Amino acid sequence: MKVQGTASLPANREEVWDLLTDPRRLAKCLPGAERLEPDGPDRYKVAMKFGIAAFSGKFQGSVELAEKKPPESLKMRVEGRGVPGFMKGEGTISLREKSGVTEVKYEGEAQVGGVIASVGQRMIEAASKKIMQQFFDAAAVELKAAAKK
Amino acid sequence: MIPAEFEYQAPKNLDEALRILGRHGDEAKILAGGHSLLPLMKLRLASPRYIVDIGRLRGMDYIREDGGKIAIGALVTHAQIVASELLRVKCPLLPETASEIGDMQVRNRGTIGGSVAHSDPGADYPATVLALDAEMIVQSSSGKRTIPATEFFVDLLTTQIRSGEILTEVRVPIKRAGEGMAYKKFHQPASGFAIVGAAARVAAGKDRKIDDIALGMTGVGSKAYRATAVEKLLRGKVASESLIADACAKAAQGVDPLGDIFASADYRREMASVFARRAITDALERAVGRASGPSAGAAQGKIK
Repeated sequence: MKVQGTASLPANREEVWDLLTDPRRLAKCLPGAERLEPDGPDRYKVAMKFGIAAFSGKFQGSVELAEKKPPESLKMRVEGRGVPGFMKGEGTISLREKSGVTEVKYEGEAQVGGVIASVGQRMIEAASKKIMQQFFDAAAVELKAAAKK
Repeated sequence: MIPAEFEYQAPKNLDEALRILGRHGDEAKILAGGHSLLPLMKLRLASPRYIVDIGRLRGMDYIREDGGKIAIGALVTHAQIVASELLRVKCPLLPETASEIGDMQVRNRGTIGGSVAHSDPGADYPATVLALDAEMIVQSSSGKRTIPATEFFVDLLTTQIRSGEILTEVRVPIKRAGEGMAYKKFHQPASGFAIVGAAARVAAGKDRKIDDIALGMTGVGSKAYRATAVEKLLRGKVASESLIADACAKAAQGVDPLGDIFASADYRREMASVFARRAITDALERAVGRASGPSAGAAQGKIK
């Protein structure tokens, strides 16, 4: 499944870059993540709990950052495994700034398997869009909070 | 196929149900017919801590005329809607839609309130309540509020219902003279959900001039919606086959269609226009009196 889209964040490129590469701040934006535990260079262990209405599932997984070109682009790999199944995704995130607002473009591939894929197949795409939306909404809140400090 | 442990509560009345719900907030889920929630729980895609079973509450399965509308209790099953003489005469779109839902087991257990509140992107009723400009009545321990269908559906599996609220009633208008309605559905052969569902309500005279039109769509995107672009192109116009077809090309305008293993996003967009056209065409014929609604016997005896 292709995952792609854009989002606008109310901060300059350097601030967005800092958010995406700081594990403590990134954890605040990943929906349902409690914290990111370092697990090698640019690699973190993460426990996440997803929920959309009645659906909910806990995943244990990892987040890895690669091909970092500050403050332009990076690759993000996310992997998770849990009772409802597994998910795996890899994509490129690129940042473009226009008068203080950063446009984030993401493009990648995701795989979902297990029970969640066989039963929730028709909703996975919509759910992944919603989760991305949650991520960027949280990122906007985090950036605004940081700007106030 | 065994759900995670949960605590089961069967309140005796609505007030008690609301109190329990208020106490447990998001950790509690309401169980009505169970045909959406239980499959999720058995697969452990949902594992609520508390189940509040309102399915046993009395007095919430009425269908009656009330103040120029028809009031339908949230616990009315799909089968009851199919069988309702009152609805068949005064709001035939609902029984027509209900007869297309799932299979007989689902229709016998599933409820209108449960289906609308769950807001599955492939559920049938959402398209129909949108086309009917229905109203949802929700209740909490602090009172009652009315939400118009056009504002009710927020996103994937998400409605305006807040934590601590229960959907208690759906109110639909009574069909007026010169109005025709139709629901057309493309079934997912395995699940029975709508790949695309189109619910049309058309008011037209013998001259085929469309005085008013409402088109509700389900299955296409992450939530049901009103195809306002199609409505705009047809309202006030004398309908022709080509005019309807051209307008229906916009049935998925402004919507990001879902794609899955059965139907890609492009295919869904195409099917949205096809089923919108079929629904509007049938609704128009019924409005001008050329065709009658589905016969009572046919709807009742339907076995799929």
